[in-house]
Amino acid sequence: MIQALYVSKTGLSAQDTQLSTISNNLANASTVGYKRDRAVFEDLFYQVQRQPGAQSTQDTQLPSGLQVGTGVRVVGTQKEFTSGSLQVTGNSLDVAINGRGFFQVLTPDGELAYTRNGQFHLNAEGDIVNANGLLLQPGINVPEGTQQLTIGDDGVVSATVSGQVEPQELGQIELADFINPAGLQAVGGNLFRQTAASGDPINGIAGLDGLGAIEQGSLENSNVDIVEEMVNMITTQRVYELNSKVISASDQMLQYISQNL
Amino acid sequence: MDKALYISMTGAKHNMLAQTVHANNLANANTTGFRADLAQARSMPVYNGDGYPSRAYALTENPATDFSQGQLIETGRDLDFAIEGDGFVAVQSLDGREAYTRSASLQITSQGQLVTGNGLPVLGEGGPIFLPPNSKIEIGADGSISTIGDDALELIQPDRIRLVNPDLSQLIKSEDGLFRLENGNAAPVDGEVRLQSGFVEGSNVNTIHEFTEVLSLSRQYELSVKLMKSVEGNSEASARLLQSS
Repeated sequence: MIQALYVSKTGLSAQDTQLSTISNNLANASTVGYKRDRAVFEDLFYQVQRQPGAQSTQDTQLPSGLQVGTGVRVVGTQKEFTSGSLQVTGNSLDVAINGRGFFQVLTPDGELAYTRNGQFHLNAEGDIVNANGLLLQPGINVPEGTQQLTIGDDGVVSATVSGQVEPQELGQIELADFINPAGLQAVGGNLFRQTAASGDPINGIAGLDGLGAIEQGSLENSNVDIVEEMVNMITTQRVYELNSKVISASDQMLQYISQNL
Repeated sequence: MDKALYISMTGAKHNMLAQTVHANNLANANTTGFRADLAQARSMPVYNGDGYPSRAYALTENPATDFSQGQLIETGRDLDFAIEGDGFVAVQSLDGREAYTRSASLQITSQGQLVTGNGLPVLGEGGPIFLPPNSKIEIGADGSISTIGDDALELIQPDRIRLVNPDLSQLIKSEDGLFRLENGNAAPVDGEVRLQSGFVEGSNVNTIHEFTEVLSLSRQYELSVKLMKSVEGNSEASARLLQSS
């Protein structure tokens, strides 16, 4: 059968993956702390039909051969950890990291997960938790009667409690960083988990050792660029159409030979 | 039966092969750094003995790869770069030898090694490149890498990406899609190659050209099949003549 059919099929499935990546990015265009995905394409191996440079006689060589490519594949999706724009909300429990680093939260299975989403809340016990109720690590408890909560650039959380003159220091938000953040596994809920590819977390204090400073009252927007995604969607759709046209052209060739011979 | 049947058959068969080459180009129309393959048909004359020289078989071959520049796509990522004009990035392929690619969307492994999107180590002046943790990376126009580490004032220059610009006629595309020198040697470093950081280079496949080729090849294929049909008709006619006598 015609190999072109299968080659175009790889083209169609790769564009299909690309389109799902784009639609996921667009769906998360206003998710706080979301990092956009990018599908990475690679050409598949080539089949040598005629080896270039082979001896055509004892003294002469073939100047060019015939290598037929076998299509394309998606080697992976890559999270792009460029920073999103900061949006000022004024909410004292909204924090953004201005630079590298992740907040650490404790998942129900006892493992740490990492997030760039700084929309924190208080639970009934006064612990700082994320929107899903997962505890921020290291844990910080806000006492009753707190008037004002202040989070410094370095992550130090202090509270002004009614009836006290001096602010009370509650703890410090620690950040974690990875040598290869793109290797983290996205598990949904704006959370990432450590993998062998990301390396071990390197804990540190915000603003030091290359980590970004913490900004209270701000949130980091999604880094999805809508225009870019729309343009990618156009090219994906057109390439998809062209590949399906090649399939129908190859199909017509097969049809022609089977009907005419 | 006339052997013209076999000649039309090679025509149809090689049209199919050329069709595959164009289908592969179209399948890779969105692959960053992909270089289109060209396909051309050549006649292979087999003139044996006396008589009218009419036996020329078709043969498809890739005379070369199209090395023209693809469009630049802005990504804003630190580790993406596009090469302006001619030039290639040296990577270490799976067999340990040096190979060249245009696709330069880099990643860092957990050991801090700089690798391409599919995990091949990028070569610097002294072999594979390793970067310190917690660092912001800048790739300069000449491939030099600088990182801003623990101390913001201190710029560390770990290495410089090995950029080469060999004679394009010496470069061949290998089975893994990477480019290598025909003689198997490593190309010398070229200081003139310029990078543009924060961009990736798209595929240089001209979809309109490729698709026109696909259409023209399918028509050519139909012609070859028609010829086979008329050869069959000829042979039927002569069989009929022999029967009636």
